[in-house]
Amino acid sequence: MNSLLKVNQKYFTTVIAVISTIIFLFPVYWMVTTSIKPMSGILATTPQLIPHEIQFQAYVKNFIQDTEILRFFLNSVIIAAGSMILTLLFASPFSYALARLDLRGKGWIIGFMLVVQMLPNIMLALPFFILFSKLHLLNNFISLIIANATLSMPFAILVLRPFFMSIPKGLEEAAVIDGCSRFTAFWKIILPLAKPGLLTVGSFCFLHAWGDLLFALILTTDKSIRPLTVHLYTFVGQYGTDWNSLMAVATVCVIPIIIIFIAFQKHIVGGLASGSVK
Amino acid sequence: MNIETDISLQRNITMESRKKAKRKKVLGNYLFILPGGIFLLLFLVFPIGYNLKITFEDLTALNILKDQSFVGLENYATVLKDKIFLLSLKNSVIFTGLCIFFQFTIGFAFALFFNKKFPGRNVMRALILIAWMIPLVITGTLFKWMFAGDHGIINHLFMWLGLIDQPIHWLINDHTSLYSTIIANIWIGIPFNMIILLAGLQSLPEETYEAAKVDGAGKVRQFFSITLPLMKPTILTLLVLGIIYTFKVFDIILIMTGGGPVNSSTVLPFYSYEMAFTNYNFSLGATVNTIMLGLLILVALVYLWLVRKEENV
Repeated sequence: MNSLLKVNQKYFTTVIAVISTIIFLFPVYWMVTTSIKPMSGILATTPQLIPHEIQFQAYVKNFIQDTEILRFFLNSVIIAAGSMILTLLFASPFSYALARLDLRGKGWIIGFMLVVQMLPNIMLALPFFILFSKLHLLNNFISLIIANATLSMPFAILVLRPFFMSIPKGLEEAAVIDGCSRFTAFWKIILPLAKPGLLTVGSFCFLHAWGDLLFALILTTDKSIRPLTVHLYTFVGQYGTDWNSLMAVATVCVIPIIIIFIAFQKHIVGGLASGSVK
Repeated sequence: MNIETDISLQRNITMESRKKAKRKKVLGNYLFILPGGIFLLLFLVFPIGYNLKITFEDLTALNILKDQSFVGLENYATVLKDKIFLLSLKNSVIFTGLCIFFQFTIGFAFALFFNKKFPGRNVMRALILIAWMIPLVITGTLFKWMFAGDHGIINHLFMWLGLIDQPIHWLINDHTSLYSTIIANIWIGIPFNMIILLAGLQSLPEETYEAAKVDGAGKVRQFFSITLPLMKPTILTLLVLGIIYTFKVFDIILIMTGGGPVNSSTVLPFYSYEMAFTNYNFSLGATVNTIMLGLLILVALVYLWLVRKEENV
Protein backbone atom coordinates (compact mmCIF):
# COMPACT_ATOMS: atom_id res chain seq x y z
CA MET A 1 0.00 0.00 0.00
CA ASN A 2 2.75 2.34 1.03
CA SER A 3 4.92 1.41 -1.97
CA LEU A 4 1.97 1.88 -4.29
CA LEU A 5 1.58 5.39 -2.94
CA LYS A 6 5.28 6.00 -3.50
CA VAL A 7 5.10 4.82 -7.14
CA ASN A 8 2.11 7.03 -7.68
CA GLN A 9 3.93 9.96 -6.18
CA LYS A 10 6.86 9.33 -8.53
CA TYR A 11 4.61 9.45 -11.57
CA PHE A 12 2.84 12.47 -10.21
CA THR A 13 6.22 14.23 -10.13
CA THR A 14 6.81 13.16 -13.72
CA VAL A 15 3.47 14.64 -14.76
CA ILE A 16 4.32 17.98 -13.16
CA ALA A 17 7.79 17.87 -14.76
CA VAL A 18 6.26 17.21 -18.18
CA ILE A 19 3.81 20.08 -17.79
CA SER A 20 6.45 22.55 -16.70
CA THR A 21 8.82 21.44 -19.48
CA ILE A 22 6.05 21.92 -22.03
CA ILE A 23 5.24 25.40 -20.74
CA PHE A 24 8.90 26.33 -20.66
CA LEU A 25 9.55 25.12 -24.18
CA PHE A 26 6.37 26.62 -25.61
CA PRO A 27 8.32 29.32 -27.53
CA VAL A 28 10.18 26.63 -29.46
CA TYR A 29 6.91 24.86 -30.25
CA TRP A 30 5.42 28.17 -31.34
CA MET A 31 8.36 28.77 -33.67
CA VAL A 32 7.98 25.42 -35.40
CA THR A 33 4.19 25.58 -35.69
CA THR A 34 4.24 29.15 -37.01
CA SER A 35 6.54 28.00 -39.79
CA ILE A 36 4.10 25.34 -40.97
CA LYS A 37 0.88 27.34 -40.69
CA PRO A 38 -0.69 29.13 -43.64
CA MET A 39 -0.86 32.92 -43.31
CA SER A 40 -4.58 32.70 -42.44
CA GLY A 41 -3.74 30.49 -39.49
CA ILE A 42 -1.04 32.87 -38.25
CA LEU A 43 -3.28 35.93 -38.46
CA ALA A 44 -6.38 34.22 -37.03
CA THR A 45 -8.23 36.22 -34.36
CA THR A 46 -8.07 33.29 -31.96
CA PRO A 47 -4.55 31.87 -32.03
CA GLN A 48 -4.34 28.27 -33.23
CA LEU A 49 -2.40 26.43 -30.55
CA ILE A 50 -2.66 23.36 -32.74
CA PRO A 51 -2.41 24.28 -36.45
CA HIS A 52 -5.74 23.68 -38.22
CA GLU A 53 -3.97 23.28 -41.49
CA ILE A 54 -0.36 22.33 -42.18
CA GLN A 55 1.64 23.43 -45.18
CA PHE A 56 5.30 23.79 -46.03
CA GLN A 57 5.01 26.83 -48.26
CA ALA A 58 7.53 28.84 -46.24
CA TYR A 59 10.17 26.12 -46.55
CA VAL A 60 9.59 25.76 -50.30
CA LYS A 61 9.79 29.51 -50.77
CA ASN A 62 12.94 30.04 -48.72
CA PHE A 63 14.94 26.92 -49.36
CA ILE A 64 13.87 25.46 -52.72
CA GLN A 65 12.79 28.43 -54.81
CA ASP A 66 15.44 30.66 -53.30
CA THR A 67 18.62 28.65 -53.02
CA GLU A 68 20.71 31.59 -51.81
CA ILE A 69 20.12 30.53 -48.25
CA LEU A 70 22.00 27.28 -48.79
CA ARG A 71 25.07 29.44 -49.37
CA PHE A 72 24.56 31.11 -45.97
CA PHE A 73 24.11 27.74 -44.37
CA LEU A 74 27.38 26.54 -45.89
CA ASN A 75 29.14 29.72 -44.74
CA SER A 76 27.96 29.07 -41.18
CA VAL A 77 29.33 25.54 -41.36
CA ILE A 78 32.71 26.78 -42.67
CA ILE A 79 33.01 29.43 -39.96
CA ALA A 80 31.86 27.19 -37.11
CA ALA A 81 33.95 24.18 -38.16
CA GLY A 82 36.99 26.34 -38.91
CA SER A 83 36.99 28.07 -35.55
CA MET A 84 36.34 24.80 -33.76
CA ILE A 85 39.39 23.19 -35.41
CA LEU A 86 41.58 26.23 -34.79
CA THR A 87 40.54 26.40 -31.14
CA LEU A 88 41.17 22.71 -30.48
CA LEU A 89 44.51 22.84 -32.28
CA PHE A 90 45.87 25.60 -30.07
CA ALA A 91 43.94 24.95 -26.88
CA SER A 92 44.68 21.24 -26.38
CA PRO A 93 48.51 21.40 -26.10
CA PHE A 94 48.15 24.59 -24.04
CA SER A 95 45.67 23.05 -21.68
CA TYR A 96 47.72 19.82 -21.45
CA ALA A 97 50.77 21.84 -20.43
CA LEU A 98 48.75 23.63 -17.76
CA ALA A 99 47.42 20.34 -16.45
CA ARG A 100 50.58 18.26 -16.46
CA LEU A 101 53.84 20.04 -17.19
CA ASP A 102 56.19 22.10 -15.13
CA LEU A 103 55.56 25.76 -15.99
CA ARG A 104 56.07 29.03 -14.24
CA GLY A 105 53.16 31.34 -13.54
CA LYS A 106 50.47 28.69 -14.07
CA GLY A 107 48.18 30.40 -11.58
CA TRP A 108 48.48 33.68 -13.42
CA ILE A 109 47.74 32.09 -16.78
CA ILE A 110 44.63 30.39 -15.40
CA GLY A 111 43.51 33.63 -13.76
CA PHE A 112 43.99 35.46 -17.04
CA MET A 113 41.85 32.89 -18.88
CA LEU A 114 39.10 33.35 -16.30
CA VAL A 115 39.16 37.13 -16.52
CA VAL A 116 39.13 37.43 -20.32
CA GLN A 117 35.98 35.36 -20.46
CA MET A 118 34.03 38.25 -19.03
CA LEU A 119 34.92 40.67 -21.81
CA PRO A 120 31.90 41.80 -23.80
CA ASN A 121 32.17 40.70 -27.45
CA ILE A 122 32.02 44.28 -28.63
CA MET A 123 35.27 44.95 -26.77
CA LEU A 124 37.00 42.60 -29.21
CA ALA A 125 34.82 43.26 -32.23
CA LEU A 126 35.70 46.94 -32.38
CA PRO A 127 39.51 46.56 -32.47
CA PHE A 128 39.11 43.54 -34.75
CA PHE A 129 37.23 45.68 -37.24
CA ILE A 130 39.94 48.32 -37.33
CA LEU A 131 42.84 45.89 -37.37
CA PHE A 132 41.36 43.55 -39.94
CA SER A 133 40.38 46.43 -42.18
CA LYS A 134 43.98 47.64 -42.04
CA LEU A 135 45.14 44.13 -42.93
CA HIS A 136 42.54 43.93 -45.74
CA LEU A 137 40.99 40.90 -44.10
CA LEU A 138 37.40 42.15 -43.93
CA ASN A 139 34.99 39.92 -45.85
CA ASN A 140 37.25 36.98 -45.35
CA PHE A 141 36.52 33.67 -43.64
CA ILE A 142 39.92 33.86 -41.97
CA SER A 143 39.05 36.94 -39.94
CA LEU A 144 35.75 35.43 -38.81
CA ILE A 145 37.37 32.14 -37.88
CA ILE A 146 40.10 33.92 -35.92
CA ALA A 147 37.60 36.16 -34.13
CA ASN A 148 35.41 33.25 -33.01
CA ALA A 149 38.41 31.12 -32.04
CA THR A 150 39.78 33.94 -29.90
CA LEU A 151 36.54 34.10 -27.99
CA SER A 152 36.30 30.37 -27.33
CA MET A 153 39.96 29.59 -26.70
CA PRO A 154 40.19 30.65 -23.00
CA PHE A 155 37.01 28.70 -22.30
CA ALA A 156 38.38 25.67 -24.16
CA ILE A 157 41.68 25.76 -22.28
CA LEU A 158 39.92 25.91 -18.91
CA VAL A 159 37.39 23.19 -19.64
CA LEU A 160 39.95 20.79 -21.18
CA ARG A 161 42.33 21.02 -18.22
CA PRO A 162 40.45 18.72 -15.82
CA PHE A 163 40.11 16.13 -18.60
CA PHE A 164 43.89 16.04 -19.03
CA MET A 165 44.41 15.94 -15.28
CA SER A 166 42.18 12.87 -14.97
CA ILE A 167 44.34 10.76 -17.32
CA PRO A 168 46.67 8.45 -15.32
CA LYS A 169 50.10 10.02 -15.05
CA GLY A 170 52.16 6.87 -15.67
CA LEU A 171 51.08 6.61 -19.29
CA GLU A 172 53.12 9.35 -20.88
CA GLU A 173 56.05 8.70 -18.54
CA ALA A 174 56.16 5.14 -19.82
CA ALA A 175 56.03 6.38 -23.38
CA VAL A 176 58.87 8.83 -22.78
CA ILE A 177 61.00 6.05 -21.25
CA ASP A 178 60.28 3.94 -24.33
CA GLY A 179 61.86 6.66 -26.42
CA CYS A 180 58.86 8.77 -27.42
CA SER A 181 59.32 12.53 -27.32
CA ARG A 182 57.01 14.47 -25.00
CA PHE A 183 55.12 15.70 -27.97
CA THR A 184 54.66 12.30 -29.60
CA ALA A 185 53.46 10.99 -26.26
CA PHE A 186 50.93 13.82 -26.09
CA TRP A 187 49.78 13.37 -29.67
CA LYS A 188 49.60 9.58 -29.82
CA ILE A 189 48.64 8.65 -26.26
CA ILE A 190 47.11 11.54 -24.35
CA LEU A 191 44.94 13.14 -27.02
CA PRO A 192 43.07 9.92 -27.93
CA LEU A 193 42.37 9.41 -24.23
CA ALA A 194 41.07 12.96 -23.86
CA LYS A 195 38.47 12.39 -26.57
CA PRO A 196 35.43 13.01 -24.34
CA GLY A 197 36.88 16.37 -23.35
CA LEU A 198 37.67 17.25 -26.93
CA LEU A 199 34.10 16.36 -27.92
CA THR A 200 32.64 18.56 -25.17
CA VAL A 201 34.83 21.53 -25.98
CA GLY A 202 34.57 21.00 -29.73
CA SER A 203 30.79 21.03 -29.68
CA PHE A 204 30.78 24.16 -27.52
CA CYS A 205 33.15 25.95 -29.89
CA PHE A 206 31.06 24.93 -32.85
CA LEU A 207 27.85 26.15 -31.22
CA HIS A 208 29.42 29.44 -30.11
CA ALA A 209 30.62 30.22 -33.60
CA TRP A 210 27.38 29.01 -35.16
CA GLY A 211 25.40 31.45 -33.05
CA ASP A 212 27.72 34.44 -33.44
CA LEU A 213 26.06 37.53 -34.84
CA LEU A 214 28.20 40.48 -33.82
CA PHE A 215 31.52 39.45 -35.38
CA ALA A 216 29.86 38.44 -38.62
CA LEU A 217 27.83 41.64 -38.71
CA ILE A 218 30.87 43.84 -38.23
CA LEU A 219 33.52 41.93 -40.17
CA THR A 220 31.51 41.24 -43.32
CA THR A 221 29.74 43.43 -45.83
CA ASP A 222 29.81 40.91 -48.63
CA LYS A 223 26.83 38.59 -48.89
CA SER A 224 28.93 35.73 -50.22
CA ILE A 225 30.60 34.98 -46.89
CA ARG A 226 27.82 35.93 -44.49
CA PRO A 227 26.56 33.25 -42.11
CA LEU A 228 22.97 32.27 -41.45
CA THR A 229 22.67 34.46 -38.35
CA VAL A 230 23.35 37.68 -40.26
CA HIS A 231 20.96 36.55 -42.96
CA LEU A 232 18.24 36.04 -40.38
CA TYR A 233 18.99 39.47 -38.91
CA THR A 234 18.70 41.29 -42.26
CA PHE A 235 15.67 39.15 -43.02
CA VAL A 236 13.95 40.49 -39.87
CA GLY A 237 14.62 44.00 -41.13
CA GLN A 238 13.36 43.36 -44.64
CA TYR A 239 10.34 41.15 -44.08
CA GLY A 240 9.43 42.45 -40.63
CA THR A 241 6.13 40.65 -40.33
CA ASP A 242 6.50 37.70 -42.66
CA TRP A 243 6.55 35.49 -39.55
CA ASN A 244 5.90 32.39 -41.57
CA SER A 245 9.19 32.69 -43.51
CA LEU A 246 11.12 34.04 -40.53
CA MET A 247 10.16 31.10 -38.34
CA ALA A 248 10.99 28.63 -41.13
CA VAL A 249 14.51 30.07 -41.45
CA ALA A 250 14.87 30.15 -37.66
CA THR A 251 13.77 26.52 -37.39
CA VAL A 252 16.31 25.40 -39.98
CA CYS A 253 19.00 27.36 -38.15
CA VAL A 254 18.23 25.48 -34.94
CA ILE A 255 18.28 21.99 -36.49
CA PRO A 256 22.10 21.54 -36.48
CA ILE A 257 22.12 22.59 -32.85
CA ILE A 258 19.51 20.05 -31.87
CA ILE A 259 21.44 17.35 -33.75
CA ILE A 260 24.75 18.21 -32.07
CA PHE A 261 22.99 18.49 -28.76
CA ILE A 262 21.33 15.08 -29.01
CA ALA A 263 24.59 13.48 -30.16
CA PHE A 264 26.75 14.96 -27.40
CA GLN A 265 24.13 15.61 -24.72
CA LYS A 266 26.02 13.85 -21.94
CA HIS A 267 29.29 15.63 -22.73
CA ILE A 268 27.67 19.03 -23.01
CA VAL A 269 25.79 18.89 -19.72
CA GLY A 270 28.85 17.54 -17.90
CA GLY A 271 31.17 20.08 -19.46
CA LEU A 272 28.87 22.94 -18.64
CA ALA A 273 28.75 22.03 -14.98
CA SER A 274 32.48 21.36 -14.62
CA GLY A 275 33.75 24.22 -16.72
CA SER A 276 31.68 27.09 -15.48
CA VAL A 277 31.86 26.75 -11.74
CA LYS A 278 35.58 26.76 -11.24
CA MET B 1 91.49 10.29 -1.17
CA ASN B 2 92.11 10.64 -4.85
CA ILE B 3 89.38 8.29 -5.71
CA GLU B 4 86.95 10.11 -3.45
CA THR B 5 87.50 13.47 -5.13
CA ASP B 6 87.13 11.73 -8.42
CA ILE B 7 83.77 10.41 -7.44
CA SER B 8 82.56 13.72 -6.04
CA LEU B 9 83.79 15.45 -9.22
CA GLN B 10 81.91 12.96 -11.31
CA ARG B 11 78.84 13.42 -9.21
CA ASN B 12 79.11 17.15 -9.72
CA ILE B 13 79.33 16.71 -13.46
CA THR B 14 76.36 14.40 -13.63
CA MET B 15 74.33 16.73 -11.44
CA GLU B 16 75.28 19.63 -13.65
CA SER B 17 74.25 17.80 -16.81
CA ARG B 18 71.10 16.58 -15.16
CA LYS B 19 70.23 20.13 -14.23
CA LYS B 20 70.91 21.17 -17.80
CA ALA B 21 68.75 18.35 -19.11
CA LYS B 22 66.01 19.33 -16.71
CA ARG B 23 66.19 22.95 -17.78
CA LYS B 24 66.00 21.81 -21.40
CA LYS B 25 62.99 19.68 -20.55
CA VAL B 26 61.30 22.60 -18.81
CA LEU B 27 62.00 24.82 -21.78
CA GLY B 28 60.50 22.08 -23.96
CA ASN B 29 57.36 22.34 -21.83
CA TYR B 30 56.87 25.91 -22.94
CA LEU B 31 56.70 24.77 -26.57
CA PHE B 32 53.29 23.31 -25.73
CA ILE B 33 51.88 26.70 -24.83
CA LEU B 34 53.80 28.63 -27.47
CA PRO B 35 51.36 28.45 -30.44
CA GLY B 36 48.28 29.17 -28.33
CA GLY B 37 50.17 31.81 -26.38
CA ILE B 38 51.22 33.67 -29.50
CA PHE B 39 47.69 33.42 -30.86
CA LEU B 40 46.21 34.87 -27.68
CA LEU B 41 48.80 37.64 -27.52
CA LEU B 42 48.09 38.63 -31.10
CA PHE B 43 44.33 38.37 -31.11
CA LEU B 44 43.32 38.89 -27.50
CA VAL B 45 45.88 40.91 -25.56
CA PHE B 46 46.87 43.17 -28.43
CA PRO B 47 43.26 44.11 -29.40
CA ILE B 48 42.41 44.89 -25.77
CA GLY B 49 45.48 47.10 -25.58
CA TYR B 50 44.61 48.69 -28.89
CA ASN B 51 41.08 49.35 -27.65
CA LEU B 52 42.54 51.15 -24.64
CA LYS B 53 44.97 53.14 -26.80
CA ILE B 54 42.32 54.57 -29.11
CA THR B 55 40.28 55.86 -26.18
CA PHE B 56 42.90 58.63 -25.96
CA GLU B 57 42.69 59.42 -29.67
CA ASP B 58 40.10 60.72 -32.11
CA LEU B 59 39.70 57.69 -34.37
CA THR B 60 36.63 57.84 -36.62
CA ALA B 61 35.77 56.33 -40.00
CA LEU B 62 37.06 59.53 -41.58
CA ASN B 63 40.63 59.36 -40.37
CA ILE B 64 41.06 55.60 -40.05
CA LEU B 65 43.75 55.45 -42.73
CA LYS B 66 45.49 58.62 -41.61
CA ASP B 67 47.16 59.58 -38.36
CA GLN B 68 45.07 60.22 -35.28
CA SER B 69 45.79 62.91 -32.78
CA PHE B 70 46.08 62.46 -29.04
CA VAL B 71 43.14 63.98 -27.20
CA GLY B 72 43.83 62.97 -23.62
CA LEU B 73 40.75 62.21 -21.55
CA GLU B 74 38.39 64.14 -23.80
CA ASN B 75 36.53 60.97 -24.94
CA TYR B 76 35.88 59.96 -21.35
CA ALA B 77 34.49 63.41 -20.60
CA THR B 78 32.26 63.26 -23.70
CA VAL B 79 30.90 59.84 -22.82
CA LEU B 80 30.32 60.53 -19.13
CA LYS B 81 28.43 63.71 -19.95
CA ASP B 82 26.27 62.01 -22.59
CA LYS B 83 22.66 61.58 -21.44
CA ILE B 84 22.32 58.40 -23.50
CA PHE B 85 25.30 56.91 -21.71
CA LEU B 86 23.64 57.49 -18.34
CA LEU B 87 20.38 56.07 -19.66
CA SER B 88 22.16 52.95 -21.00
CA LEU B 89 23.96 52.51 -17.71
CA LYS B 90 20.63 52.67 -15.89
CA ASN B 91 19.08 50.26 -18.40
CA SER B 92 22.03 47.89 -18.03
CA VAL B 93 21.58 47.86 -14.26
CA ILE B 94 17.82 47.23 -14.55
CA PHE B 95 18.36 44.60 -17.23
CA THR B 96 21.05 42.75 -15.31
CA GLY B 97 19.30 43.04 -11.95
CA LEU B 98 15.89 41.80 -13.06
CA CYS B 99 17.32 39.07 -15.29
CA ILE B 100 19.54 37.70 -12.55
CA PHE B 101 16.78 37.79 -9.95
CA PHE B 102 14.24 35.87 -12.02
CA GLN B 103 16.69 33.54 -13.77
CA PHE B 104 18.11 32.58 -10.43
CA THR B 105 14.84 32.07 -8.54
CA ILE B 106 13.11 30.18 -11.34
CA GLY B 107 16.31 28.27 -12.10
CA PHE B 108 16.60 27.31 -8.43
CA ALA B 109 13.00 26.12 -8.34
CA PHE B 110 13.63 24.00 -11.42
CA ALA B 111 16.87 22.66 -9.92
CA LEU B 112 15.19 21.65 -6.65
CA PHE B 113 12.47 19.94 -8.61
CA PHE B 114 14.81 18.12 -10.98
CA ASN B 115 16.93 17.01 -8.04
CA LYS B 116 14.16 14.53 -7.21
CA LYS B 117 14.30 11.12 -8.83
CA PHE B 118 11.49 10.39 -11.25
CA PRO B 119 11.15 8.65 -14.62
CA GLY B 120 12.11 10.78 -17.63
CA ARG B 121 14.12 13.22 -15.55
CA ASN B 122 17.25 13.26 -17.70
CA VAL B 123 15.35 13.65 -20.96
CA MET B 124 13.41 16.65 -19.67
CA ARG B 125 16.47 18.24 -18.13
CA ALA B 126 18.21 18.00 -21.49
CA LEU B 127 15.18 19.39 -23.33
CA ILE B 128 15.11 22.45 -21.08
CA LEU B 129 18.76 23.08 -21.82
CA ILE B 130 17.91 23.49 -25.51
CA ALA B 131 16.57 26.96 -24.73
CA TRP B 132 20.06 27.95 -23.69
CA MET B 133 21.76 26.43 -26.74
CA ILE B 134 19.66 28.22 -29.37
CA PRO B 135 21.57 31.11 -31.01
CA LEU B 136 20.48 34.44 -29.53
CA VAL B 137 19.49 35.77 -32.95
CA ILE B 138 16.88 33.08 -33.20
CA THR B 139 15.60 33.52 -29.67
CA GLY B 140 15.40 37.24 -30.34
CA THR B 141 13.43 36.74 -33.53
CA LEU B 142 11.15 34.27 -31.82
CA PHE B 143 10.36 36.60 -28.93
CA LYS B 144 9.91 39.47 -31.36
CA TRP B 145 7.15 37.41 -32.93
CA MET B 146 5.61 36.49 -29.60
CA PHE B 147 5.68 40.11 -28.43
CA ALA B 148 4.37 41.42 -31.76
CA GLY B 149 1.63 44.04 -31.42
CA ASP B 150 -0.47 42.43 -34.11
CA HIS B 151 -1.28 38.75 -33.64
CA GLY B 152 1.49 38.17 -31.10
CA ILE B 153 0.69 35.31 -28.74
CA ILE B 154 1.46 37.36 -25.62
CA ASN B 155 -1.20 39.91 -26.47
CA HIS B 156 -3.64 37.05 -27.14
CA LEU B 157 -2.80 35.49 -23.77
CA PHE B 158 -3.09 38.72 -21.79
CA MET B 159 -6.37 39.63 -23.43
CA TRP B 160 -7.73 36.15 -22.78
CA LEU B 161 -6.69 36.49 -19.14
CA GLY B 162 -8.35 39.89 -19.04
CA LEU B 163 -5.15 41.70 -18.07
CA ILE B 164 -5.37 44.12 -21.00
CA ASP B 165 -8.28 45.38 -23.10
CA GLN B 166 -6.48 45.95 -26.33
CA PRO B 167 -3.20 44.81 -27.90
CA ILE B 168 -0.04 46.51 -26.66
CA HIS B 169 2.81 47.17 -29.04
CA TRP B 170 5.37 45.92 -26.55
CA LEU B 171 8.52 46.51 -28.57
CA ILE B 172 7.78 49.96 -29.92
CA ASN B 173 6.50 51.36 -26.65
CA ASP B 174 9.17 53.06 -24.57
CA HIS B 175 7.61 51.86 -21.29
CA THR B 176 7.64 48.19 -22.23
CA SER B 177 10.48 47.65 -24.72
CA LEU B 178 13.23 47.07 -22.15
CA TYR B 179 11.05 44.73 -20.08
CA SER B 180 10.19 42.65 -23.13
CA THR B 181 13.88 42.03 -23.84
CA ILE B 182 14.36 41.20 -20.16
CA ILE B 183 11.69 38.52 -20.33
CA ALA B 184 13.33 36.99 -23.40
CA ASN B 185 16.69 36.95 -21.66
CA ILE B 186 15.28 35.40 -18.50
CA TRP B 187 13.98 32.54 -20.62
CA ILE B 188 17.48 31.97 -21.99
CA GLY B 189 19.15 32.14 -18.58
CA ILE B 190 16.90 29.75 -16.63
CA PRO B 191 18.43 26.51 -18.02
CA PHE B 192 21.97 27.67 -17.29
CA ASN B 193 21.10 28.55 -13.69
CA MET B 194 19.22 25.30 -13.31
CA ILE B 195 22.12 23.10 -14.50
CA ILE B 196 24.73 24.80 -12.33
CA LEU B 197 22.52 24.73 -9.22
CA LEU B 198 21.52 21.14 -9.90
CA ALA B 199 25.18 20.13 -10.06
CA GLY B 200 25.66 21.89 -6.72
CA LEU B 201 22.62 20.22 -5.14
CA GLN B 202 23.72 16.78 -6.26
CA SER B 203 27.05 17.16 -4.51
CA LEU B 204 25.47 17.91 -1.12
CA PRO B 205 25.92 15.18 1.54
CA GLU B 206 22.77 13.12 1.99
CA GLU B 207 23.58 12.23 5.62
CA THR B 208 23.06 15.82 6.75
CA TYR B 209 19.48 15.68 5.47
CA GLU B 210 18.93 12.29 7.10
CA ALA B 211 20.14 13.72 10.40
CA ALA B 212 17.93 16.78 10.04
CA LYS B 213 14.96 14.55 9.29
CA VAL B 214 15.64 12.53 12.43
CA ASP B 215 15.79 15.77 14.37
CA GLY B 216 12.38 16.65 12.98
CA ALA B 217 13.28 19.49 10.65
CA GLY B 218 10.67 20.08 7.93
CA LYS B 219 11.36 20.58 4.23
CA VAL B 220 11.33 24.37 4.50
CA ARG B 221 13.58 24.36 7.52
CA GLN B 222 15.95 21.95 5.74
CA PHE B 223 16.11 24.27 2.75
CA PHE B 224 16.97 27.37 4.72
CA SER B 225 19.22 25.74 7.34
CA ILE B 226 21.07 23.18 5.21
CA THR B 227 20.66 23.67 1.48
CA LEU B 228 21.18 27.41 1.27
CA PRO B 229 24.24 27.66 3.54
CA LEU B 230 25.91 24.66 1.90
CA MET B 231 25.17 26.00 -1.57
CA LYS B 232 26.63 29.42 -0.80
CA PRO B 233 29.86 29.04 -2.81
CA THR B 234 27.97 27.76 -5.88
CA ILE B 235 25.39 30.51 -5.56
CA LEU B 236 28.02 33.21 -5.24
CA THR B 237 29.93 32.01 -8.31
CA LEU B 238 26.73 31.62 -10.28
CA LEU B 239 25.54 35.13 -9.44
CA VAL B 240 28.85 36.68 -10.47
CA LEU B 241 28.95 34.67 -13.70
CA GLY B 242 25.33 35.64 -14.27
CA ILE B 243 26.07 39.34 -13.84
CA ILE B 244 29.00 39.15 -16.24
CA TYR B 245 27.10 37.17 -18.89
CA THR B 246 23.94 39.26 -18.62
CA PHE B 247 25.77 42.54 -18.74
CA LYS B 248 27.22 41.47 -22.12
CA VAL B 249 23.86 40.80 -23.80
CA PHE B 250 23.72 42.45 -27.17
CA ASP B 251 22.07 40.27 -29.82
CA ILE B 252 18.68 40.12 -28.11
CA ILE B 253 18.47 43.92 -27.93
CA LEU B 254 19.64 44.39 -31.52
CA ILE B 255 17.05 41.98 -32.90
CA MET B 256 14.06 42.77 -30.72
CA THR B 257 14.14 46.55 -30.34
CA GLY B 258 17.34 47.91 -31.90
CA GLY B 259 17.81 49.77 -28.64
CA GLY B 260 14.67 51.79 -29.22
CA PRO B 261 12.29 53.42 -29.19
CA VAL B 262 14.29 56.55 -28.40
CA ASN B 263 17.07 54.56 -26.68
CA SER B 264 14.59 53.23 -24.11
CA SER B 265 16.11 49.75 -24.36
CA THR B 266 19.72 50.70 -25.07
CA VAL B 267 22.16 48.89 -22.77
CA LEU B 268 25.89 49.60 -22.56
CA PRO B 269 27.23 47.06 -25.09
CA PHE B 270 24.60 48.23 -27.55
CA TYR B 271 25.47 51.86 -26.92
CA SER B 272 29.11 51.08 -27.68
CA TYR B 273 28.08 49.30 -30.89
CA GLU B 274 26.00 52.30 -31.94
CA MET B 275 28.82 54.72 -31.22
CA ALA B 276 31.27 52.66 -33.26
CA PHE B 277 29.18 51.28 -36.09
CA THR B 278 26.25 53.63 -36.54
CA ASN B 279 28.06 56.91 -35.82
CA TYR B 280 31.45 55.48 -36.87
CA ASN B 281 33.17 57.12 -33.92
CA PHE B 282 35.48 54.28 -32.96
CA SER B 283 37.24 56.13 -30.18
CA LEU B 284 33.98 56.84 -28.34
CA GLY B 285 32.89 53.23 -28.79
CA ALA B 286 36.21 52.05 -27.38
CA THR B 287 35.81 54.45 -24.46
CA VAL B 288 32.44 52.91 -23.58
CA ASN B 289 34.09 49.47 -23.83
CA THR B 290 36.80 50.50 -21.42
CA ILE B 291 34.29 51.87 -18.93
CA MET B 292 32.38 48.59 -19.16
CA LEU B 293 35.58 46.66 -18.55
CA GLY B 294 36.22 48.79 -15.47
CA LEU B 295 32.75 47.98 -14.12
CA LEU B 296 33.20 44.26 -14.75
CA ILE B 297 36.57 44.25 -13.01
CA LEU B 298 34.87 45.93 -10.07
CA VAL B 299 32.31 43.11 -9.93
CA ALA B 300 35.12 40.55 -10.08
CA LEU B 301 36.98 42.27 -7.24
CA VAL B 302 33.87 42.32 -5.07
CA TYR B 303 33.50 38.63 -5.78
CA LEU B 304 37.11 37.90 -4.78
CA TRP B 305 36.65 39.94 -1.62
CA LEU B 306 33.50 37.98 -0.73
CA VAL B 307 35.23 34.67 -1.37
CA ARG B 308 38.18 35.65 0.80
CA LYS B 309 35.88 36.80 3.59
CA GLU B 310 34.07 33.47 3.35
CA GLU B 311 37.33 31.54 3.63
CA ASN B 312 38.51 33.51 6.63
CA VAL B 313 35.36 32.88 8.62
